[in-house]
Amino acid sequence: MKVIEITDVYKIYNSSEIKVNAVNGVSLDFEEAEFAAIVGPSGSGKTTLLNLLGGLDLPTSGKILIDGTDLSLLKSSQLIDFRMRNIGFVFQAYNLIPVLTARENIEFIMNLQKMSKASREERSFELLKAVGLDDRAGSRPSKLSGGQQQRIAVARALASKPRFVLADEPTANLDSKSASTLLEIMEKLNHEEKITFIFSTHDPRVVKMAHRIITLEDGKVVSDVRTE
Amino acid sequence: MKDLQMAWRNLWRNRRRTIITAASVFFAIFFALVMRSFQLGAYDRMFKNIIESYSGYLQLQQKDYFEEPSIDNSFVVSPEMLEAFSADKNVDILVPRLESFALVAAESRTQGAIVMGVDPEKETRVSDMSSRLIRYRLTEQAVAGLHKESLPEKTKNALDVFLNESFSGPGRLMIDLGIADEDSAEIMPVLRKHAGFANSYFDNNDTSKVLIGNALSEYLKVGIGDTLVLVGQGYHGTSAAGIYVIKGIVKLPAPDIDNKVVYMTIDDARQLYGAPDMATSVVLALHDTEEKSVLNTADRLKNILPEDEVFRNWKELNALLINQMDADNKSGMIMIGILYLVIAFGVFGTVLMMLAERTREFGMLVSIGMQKTKLARVVTLELLFVGFLGIIAGVIASLPVVFYGNIHPIRFTGELGKMYEDYGFDPIMPTMLPDNYYLWQVFVVLLILIIAVVFSTRKILRINVTNSLRA
Repeated sequence: MKVIEITDVYKIYNSSEIKVNAVNGVSLDFEEAEFAAIVGPSGSGKTTLLNLLGGLDLPTSGKILIDGTDLSLLKSSQLIDFRMRNIGFVFQAYNLIPVLTARENIEFIMNLQKMSKASREERSFELLKAVGLDDRAGSRPSKLSGGQQQRIAVARALASKPRFVLADEPTANLDSKSASTLLEIMEKLNHEEKITFIFSTHDPRVVKMAHRIITLEDGKVVSDVRTE
Repeated sequence: MKDLQMAWRNLWRNRRRTIITAASVFFAIFFALVMRSFQLGAYDRMFKNIIESYSGYLQLQQKDYFEEPSIDNSFVVSPEMLEAFSADKNVDILVPRLESFALVAAESRTQGAIVMGVDPEKETRVSDMSSRLIRYRLTEQAVAGLHKESLPEKTKNALDVFLNESFSGPGRLMIDLGIADEDSAEIMPVLRKHAGFANSYFDNNDTSKVLIGNALSEYLKVGIGDTLVLVGQGYHGTSAAGIYVIKGIVKLPAPDIDNKVVYMTIDDARQLYGAPDMATSVVLALHDTEEKSVLNTADRLKNILPEDEVFRNWKELNALLINQMDADNKSGMIMIGILYLVIAFGVFGTVLMMLAERTREFGMLVSIGMQKTKLARVVTLELLFVGFLGIIAGVIASLPVVFYGNIHPIRFTGELGKMYEDYGFDPIMPTMLPDNYYLWQVFVVLLILIIAVVFSTRKILRINVTNSLRA
């Protein structure tokens, strides 16, 4: 079942003198429960493509359908609401909310969705356990290591059971042990929760674990390989 | 997590910045309130002093007297007219005065003086004249005697500060000399013994006896029982001259009057100026002295007013003072305006810093699904929290100062005090108790906060998520 359909998408940035084709006619589909990595050199358009997939940016032309919904047709507030319900984000710099505890960070999106307290608590403890941090539920981000913060960020991204998770260089700031732990957790959750994971990455450990590797160069897909 | 809870936590994530911002609001509102209370308190006192000791709230005058205050523009006071005015519900009593100028000479000095012919009994009901008689005078001799007595050190130190000062009653004397209520029974008899001043009010039978202002008595170097010679021009150019004995010395709170006033009975004044049955003004003592009520009373009585006479209210009678106060008030407002401007820049600096510092966080929150309006609401709550913290603390901190300043006004002594008196101002500055001006200061700070809130909300609503995440 197709979760994401991208058809002939272009993203062109017009600065005062130079026109940059950040994404240059990309067409891709992503199925449910995929574990895909988008790779390519710096400036190849990985982050731009991820932003377009996440509805953080809109394409200059082309169509992006998420579960059949054309993102370009949504108003700004509808798009934010759509992201909240369908897309999970994991950022390179963790980006947890500093004034909330680990548990509150995980519950934040469920709170925005106005889920009941009992459901929130049940889901947050389930995820804390899944990422191996159930003993740090009451800790604020400043009291957690980088690896622990990124695990909480993954738990937050999965909290509302989104259709897919976008992870932009999630292991870039982590040591190898933390990165391995994080990847194992994400792969396990991908299996258990049947949620699609799409990474943009330079990290060979991520590429090694991915089931599909999409290579971009100059905004174009130059290869799309499935490893299993 | 509720917006309120999140805003509260955000507020304390950068404790120092929050405290500095709240402190800037606190100091602005505190200083603005204290400054304003002293300014308004001083105006209020000046008004009350001049109105209650001199002009009254409403005067009846011959129509040309206001422009040309000469005894030639006096009028005959008929008992019928007084009776008709007395019938009004807001009129308490009517006090005729015959006021003119004369040169007043003592043994070695002469001074231009205001001569006020009054009905002593009625006058004291309007201007509380009898309570203004000097009761204590800290002459060099009195202070030397008091230094030999067993008095608290604080009182002895204050004696030198208030050397040559006169006091109409024990209240001000006790405050200035730092005498506590519980010590007064012991100390006041000692003060009376050395600094007591024998003095008495006059009545309608006191022919050729006068009361004079304290500052005038000091200038002329005269005391009780001394003789004064008055020379001037009487009604329609007649010459006016007379010899009078000083029966009392009054201390008037308006220095500009205290240094030139001579009170005598209206019969003596009429005789001096050759103006039988005449008066230059009739002061109407009113039950209700609110501005609207004063004007309404004048309106009602206009119908029975003789053709040549008019009413002058306290605003017209004190136009010069009002202009002076207006000018002073404006300079005070400019000072407070500058204070608020500094605070506004401080608050805006904080908002800009906060927005720049949290750009990436705002981008992240919007990207994971927080509506911009909700985010703006949280930031608004943060700003309101910090603002209200400063406002409430500032208002609370100002209250003891304002209440204390009302009971224990600042009293300027020495050169500064003399300078105030030279300008015709009472050198005592009390605070005004909390009133509408408190609401105004709070309103101004809230306005600054609202502008800051509008600014931050606009910024948040215009957030570009991808740019913010790169910040």
